[in-house]
Amino acid sequence: MDTKSKRKKPEVLAPAGTLEKLKTAIHYGADAVYIGGNAYGLRSRAGNFSYEEMAEGVAFAKEHGANVYVAANMVTHEGDAAGAGTFFRKLREIGIRAVIVSDPALIEICATEAPGLPIHLSTQASATNYETLEFWKQEGLERVVLAREVSMAEVAEIRKNTDIEIEAFIHGAMCISYSGRCTLSNHMSFRDANRGGCSQSCRWKYELYDMPFGQERNTFSDQGVEEPFSMSAVDMSMIEHIPDLVENGVDSLKIEGRMKSIHYVSTVSNVYRAAIDSYMADPEKYVLKQEWIDELWKVAQRELSTGFYYHTPTENEQLFGARRKIPVYKFIGEVMAYDEATKMATIRQRNHFSVGDEIEFYGPGFHHFEQEVAVMWNEEGERIDRAPNPMMLVTMPVVESVQVGDMIRKKK
Amino acid sequence: MIEITATVESMDQLGKLLVSGVDTVYIGEETFGLRLPKSFSRAQQSEIIHIVHEKGKKVTVAVNALMHPEAMKQLPEYLDFLKEQKVDQITVGDAGVIFVLQRDQYGIPYIYDGETLVTSSRQINFWAKKGAIGSVLAREIPYLELQRMAPELQIFGEILVYGATCIHQSKRPLLQNYFHYVQLNEAATKERGLFISEPKKTDTHYSIYEDNHGTHIFANNDVNLVTKLNDLVALGYKNWKLDGLYCHGDAFVEIAQQFNAAKEWIQQNQWSETIGSQLDHKISEIHPQNRGLDTGFFAFDPEDVK
Repeated sequence: MDTKSKRKKPEVLAPAGTLEKLKTAIHYGADAVYIGGNAYGLRSRAGNFSYEEMAEGVAFAKEHGANVYVAANMVTHEGDAAGAGTFFRKLREIGIRAVIVSDPALIEICATEAPGLPIHLSTQASATNYETLEFWKQEGLERVVLAREVSMAEVAEIRKNTDIEIEAFIHGAMCISYSGRCTLSNHMSFRDANRGGCSQSCRWKYELYDMPFGQERNTFSDQGVEEPFSMSAVDMSMIEHIPDLVENGVDSLKIEGRMKSIHYVSTVSNVYRAAIDSYMADPEKYVLKQEWIDELWKVAQRELSTGFYYHTPTENEQLFGARRKIPVYKFIGEVMAYDEATKMATIRQRNHFSVGDEIEFYGPGFHHFEQEVAVMWNEEGERIDRAPNPMMLVTMPVVESVQVGDMIRKKK
Repeated sequence: MIEITATVESMDQLGKLLVSGVDTVYIGEETFGLRLPKSFSRAQQSEIIHIVHEKGKKVTVAVNALMHPEAMKQLPEYLDFLKEQKVDQITVGDAGVIFVLQRDQYGIPYIYDGETLVTSSRQINFWAKKGAIGSVLAREIPYLELQRMAPELQIFGEILVYGATCIHQSKRPLLQNYFHYVQLNEAATKERGLFISEPKKTDTHYSIYEDNHGTHIFANNDVNLVTKLNDLVALGYKNWKLDGLYCHGDAFVEIAQQFNAAKEWIQQNQWSETIGSQLDHKISEIHPQNRGLDTGFFAFDPEDVK
């Protein structure tokens, strides 16, 4: 079989902690979003969706040809799974496209009590070989999210041996452990990492020492080592490796971050949408654009790496010492209206900005431009120098056409 | 019938453990098994299985690692070996291994050991339907949950009654990365005996080491449930595991002797709190001096863990 006929356009799967983020992600090119319900999820602090919000999200997604998945990836303790059948049936009724689950109890409940609702195996189950994927395929699952520890060569190997859908993380923060195989938080903070309470103990700084029998503890810091021990690692970005992901048959490219902002979600979705469309349009002539990379750095919270895809992470992919400074951008507003005749845009303020600021507009389809804030008016039509109030509406002339939903950021 | 499973680190220790009364010995090799006191060669595994079977006892082999494709390629040959040796049972934590066991009809009984992920009866019963004969319970299950689980379990749930609890497995070489960064030439092995303490809690001591499966971190204190054994038996938890990862040689044999004594007292209906306290005291004396002991999550109120 020739490669071209096998090549399949992967889905861009974005996180959506709230209804606003869901709409933003889809508007900015995500083919699908994953959200949390009020139960059985792993992000107790991410905005989770009520059934009404889910229904609205599903309706919006359908209008735009997108899908909504619900993460129900909690590892249940005795009694936690009560009511899960009703929950899954409700999701099916609402039109949720699939649920992301790792707990076999929840998988069984979903399969038997809400048949027809597709199940995706969560990365919490740490799937690292094709036989595991075949196991879950036999159980009727539609898709498996691979463990983040799988290398690109292993992805290729897995793909060759199974036809179940494969989802892989391509961008965002990563668990330091094999997902699910960590209870640091349970033991150190009495917060269950696998039931939505993870206190991110792996990001803390620790003292490393030995304690030979009968002696005092002997720390590395006592020996003059200034850097404390830490497990914390940089984040992942696979923007430079889209061809590898597509050619190795990954069906869904997953962006991490249900806790992240609309600034983040819109930017990252936009970039991967552009890159994948560009590659699929003409794989042979595909060129990685520096502007995509630059764009991702604007919302990066840590440095970026390729995780386990090309090598086991070294000290260079951990957060030790003083790190390279990341340019920090602030999300300052979104376009609510635009008059083509007068080239005037109405903007809802999301962070303060002033006349004289250099600001950057961006919109779906990777439309970008920068301009200075020359003049602006408030809702009363009064000329103002500063836009200090959250959600206030401001009107200003723009140098290029914009659209409702375009966003504006500014370098801090 | 109470069944005590104990890890083994040498042929000498094996003989003593069998005399001490353990019912099942737990062995394996590093490619497929997690956090073993010793990785045995095939010839040694074969010899151990032979010796144990001659004594009319059982062998469990650890095949409980998360398997990447390279290990999966070597797996059938290992399973062939274990089948030929008539191993009694294996522990498995990767659904891919279960797939292979069934696809190739090995007929080797397996105990599901998904570590931190084995926390409810419904999960365990799922694996029972997939052929598991037992399960290894996560260490983060309080007594009140064990109580609620017990009547629901279709296969046994093995409980760690003595030894270290792994609370983190990373594929990353976290210690090596650190040593490279601070430019120290240090070993990251278990034998190096390293600990980490939490920020501002200098009295905490979580063991940490690296091997071919990555970096492993263990709970602040090792588990000792000797005073709770009668409660476990009352609920039907009769499969007890003793893990000698951090307790070596004759000391571990002596620990096993205490648990075997407890088993005898309980089976003869002569258990008392006094006996429990005496055994507890003895175990504390034998336990390595630089390591703590407690009852883990056993006494926690389930509501304490958010």
